Amino acid sequence: MSDIPRISRRSLFRGVGSATLVAGCAAKTPTPAPAPGLDPAAPPLAGTALGPGPAPLRFTLNGAPQTLEAAPSTTLLELLRHQLDATGSKLVCDRGACGACTVLVDGAPQPSCMTLAHDVEGRGVTTVEGLATNNQLSPLQRAFIEHDALQCGYCSSGMLMSCQALLNRRGATDAAAVEHAIAGNLCRCGTYPNVVAAVLSVAKGGA
Amino acid sequence: MADGTRKLKVGFADQLRDIEVALPAGEPQPWDATTKLDVVGKPHPRIEAAAKVTGAARYTHDQRPAGLVHAAVLRCPHPCAVLDALDLEPARGAPGVLAVLAVAKPGDRLLFAGQDVAALAATTPQQAHAALARIAVRYSPQPFVVDTTAAMQPDAPLVHRAQVRERSTEGDEPGTPTGSSQRGNLRMSPSQKKGDVDKGLRQAKVTHEATYSTQAHTHSALETHSIVLRWDSPTSLTAWCSTQGIFSVRDELAEVFGLKPQDVHVITDYMGGGFGAKFGASAPGSRLGFIAGELARQARAPVALLLDRREEHLCTGNRPDSIQQVTLGAAADGSLTAIKVLAHGSGGIGTGAGVGRNAFAIYTKCPNIRVESHDVFTHAGPATAFRAPGHPQGAFAIELALDELAVKLGKDPLELRLAHNEHPVRRHQFELGRKQFDWDNKRKRVADERQRNTRLRHGVGVAASIWGDFGRGKAVVASLSVGRDGSIELRNGLQDIGGGITTVVAQVVAEVLRRPLADIRVRIGTSELGPSVGSGGSNTTSSVTPAVRAAAEAVLQQLRELAGKQLAARRPEDVLWDSKGARVGGKSIAFVDLCKHIAGEAIVATGTRPDTYGAYPSRFMGGNSVAIAGVQFAEVELDTWTGLVRATHVLALHDCGRVMNPLTCRSQITGGIILGTSYALSEQRVMDKRHGVMLNPNLDSYKIAGARDVPAIDVVFTEVHTGANNTGAIGIGEPATIPTAAAIACAVFSAIGTPVRSLPLTPDRVLAALGAIPTAAPARG
Ligand code: FES
Ligand code: FES
Repeated sequence: MSDIPRISRRSLFRGVGSATLVAGCAAKTPTPAPAPGLDPAAPPLAGTALGPGPAPLRFTLNGAPQTLEAAPSTTLLELLRHQLDATGSKLVCDRGACGACTVLVDGAPQPSCMTLAHDVEGRGVTTVEGLATNNQLSPLQRAFIEHDALQCGYCSSGMLMSCQALLNRRGATDAAAVEHAIAGNLCRCGTYPNVVAAVLSVAKGGA
Repeated sequence: MADGTRKLKVGFADQLRDIEVALPAGEPQPWDATTKLDVVGKPHPRIEAAAKVTGAARYTHDQRPAGLVHAAVLRCPHPCAVLDALDLEPARGAPGVLAVLAVAKPGDRLLFAGQDVAALAATTPQQAHAALARIAVRYSPQPFVVDTTAAMQPDAPLVHRAQVRERSTEGDEPGTPTGSSQRGNLRMSPSQKKGDVDKGLRQAKVTHEATYSTQAHTHSALETHSIVLRWDSPTSLTAWCSTQGIFSVRDELAEVFGLKPQDVHVITDYMGGGFGAKFGASAPGSRLGFIAGELARQARAPVALLLDRREEHLCTGNRPDSIQQVTLGAAADGSLTAIKVLAHGSGGIGTGAGVGRNAFAIYTKCPNIRVESHDVFTHAGPATAFRAPGHPQGAFAIELALDELAVKLGKDPLELRLAHNEHPVRRHQFELGRKQFDWDNKRKRVADERQRNTRLRHGVGVAASIWGDFGRGKAVVASLSVGRDGSIELRNGLQDIGGGITTVVAQVVAEVLRRPLADIRVRIGTSELGPSVGSGGSNTTSSVTPAVRAAAEAVLQQLRELAGKQLAARRPEDVLWDSKGARVGGKSIAFVDLCKHIAGEAIVATGTRPDTYGAYPSRFMGGNSVAIAGVQFAEVELDTWTGLVRATHVLALHDCGRVMNPLTCRSQITGGIILGTSYALSEQRVMDKRHGVMLNPNLDSYKIAGARDVPAIDVVFTEVHTGANNTGAIGIGEPATIPTAAAIACAVFSAIGTPVRSLPLTPDRVLAALGAIPTAAPARG
């Protein structure tokens, strides 16, 4: 902004190596697998520097292998929304504060706005588009509909991913556990109680 | 059918009665208290929900028309400055840049940090943002004021040098007083008054006087204000817009670019929340429509202008703050002799800081009432309608003041309210809530804990809401077609803000035609589908469903005629219609088979809604619409060591006319309570008084309630048959959020015996009220 220079998070991303950066972002819930980039013992990527221009990247998106090029400063969310036209994950705060962009990376929920695209190299990413199989809604999706766990729906993609991760690790033991799992997912329409009810119904085997 | 009067059974609970209403020709017999319905009134999951849970729903942010380029806006960093120089040329040559646009010109006085200065479009969003830094701009900073109290001083820097014209949208409450005078930063509005308040105060034996303040509150819809605009020809365009009012977007774009309204095609298939801030193509503090259109024209490409979260906080509207001096007078027996409120509030550079109807129109047994509310201009982004504009802040002050008076009178606050409220539905709700909430016993426990001076305290409070049925006549034209293949399609240029109107509309069609809900296709979300209303003022359901029903009844009429012919009925009345199809005596024809006999492709009929015809049992502010009543009881848990307040339980009793879909209606009420809880306990825009900028413009620092901050919520519908329109629907979006913060504040007062007279009820304020730390500063801009 003009005469007062404003440092944006994105311009900061550009100035530092990606490993340092991602190391600063804590995973918001305990996760079974180490989150990408969080393992300090991980070897450097193939020993070659990335960028500043587009660099090759491979990962799996909802089970489908992806081979593409992305600039190292690209976040996973930007890659999904702009390059892969997977617009289910939403950009709301762009700083890890709202959870609307939550995706699963090797099963662990991550805010994709705080994850660099190159940090999912070789990993498996699941987005809301990957929850249904063969056009069949998943039990969690059906429960969201049944319990009216969505109003405008803008938080729902991220909410679903946090809840799916909880169900995957069989953690939806009671309302408090669900509330904890979605503590990082903001909903302005106020669907929280219905989200909790939906998740618990799936955990109990209903939909 | 000529105009005629019809008898209706109206009322609520066991208080039913017959009224006569005059109906225009062609209006279907209204559904009233005697009507039994099968689909309407039953819980139905949203019919569009699958698109939302699979990520398939495309919101404005998700639109990618071919060749799309991206806009970014340069915003003024100063709270007040004169623009000295603006040179866009360096940005024009930046990588990817396709168009540049000056929005302000040298010499302009810019009035808040965040105001539009210039804009550009580039191939990628990153390029657009990078190029902004190349714009050469020079400002002369000017004296400014962002604090409401400071702005009221005679020597405060003047925000507006000319008279301010009021901006109002479909989100504003109809009938809000206009006609005002301006002095310094103060803009005086006519007061709401009855009786003689000064005399009432002279007569009083017990009085209470105190000042209450509330914070500025941002809408924070998760989808930011956004528009994607494409020129289809030099004189026509398509705009995808995150809006609560498709036609308000169309009309603004037509006006700004000199186009015919029918050449502006607006699309809002899905939208990620609005709460009152999304009307027109622009945001209240940013000319988004103009910027996107000009850039798209220059770039010869569709342009996406999607605000980021910071911009959303600065320039897209807010609920104004308030400073309310409340004076109450009562006779020795506890009857109120006077209610006087003098309120000031700042909507930044905008108007709209009134405090609603609560003090004036709920405790109406009081003979003398005067409520004055005035705007104070400050150098901050403009306010705009926010879910029940004025009401939550007004409710907070009057309800907490009543509780303080009740203590002085030695009265139960609920008794004091019952003694002065004349709305029969609200009386019913107070009584019902008293039992269900176990008010009397809970009050005893609260008093006991206070007496024993326990660390952890409980508190209980009760507060009321008032809203009007602002359902609009003649605004909606719904069209329904039944095809030869048996397909049923309802079309209207309506948007679903998240309230669930898509499903409710389908229910009405299913009910009338006796077809399965799953067979009804609802097409909404574009201006091509026929006139509709904005989703504001809680008027969507009451404006739209009667028009949909009229269309469905007209189609049914034609289907019955067709069946009469097919089955050789002697009189039209001999045709019986049910879920299988039509029957005449022993002969029948299934619905799909009947449809095959439709001449041409389809039967199509349109329907409109006449003006509101009944308003039972209580009129809103003496007008022609019904007054909607609501009451909420709140319980809090408060730690006297840390000052932390948790809202643990809210019981909400609301009048919502005929409940069309209890599932989505309940969600909407729950959402209103959660918004109100968040307003009560954590949200506040923090302005830096020395630099004039907002300190917390993102969601990490602007705290909205998360899953662990919400109370257990019980919702009770008090279904009221008002005779307002042919479906009996009235609104609930706004009433649900009105009393929550007030009830929570009253509960905190009961827990500690000292009122916290400023929202939000943060730990520092609670500790100050407990005398544990020095008194915190009052209102924070
Ligand atoms: S957009 Fe990623 S957490 Fe908010
Ligand atoms: S449903 Fe609207 S933000 Fe959650």
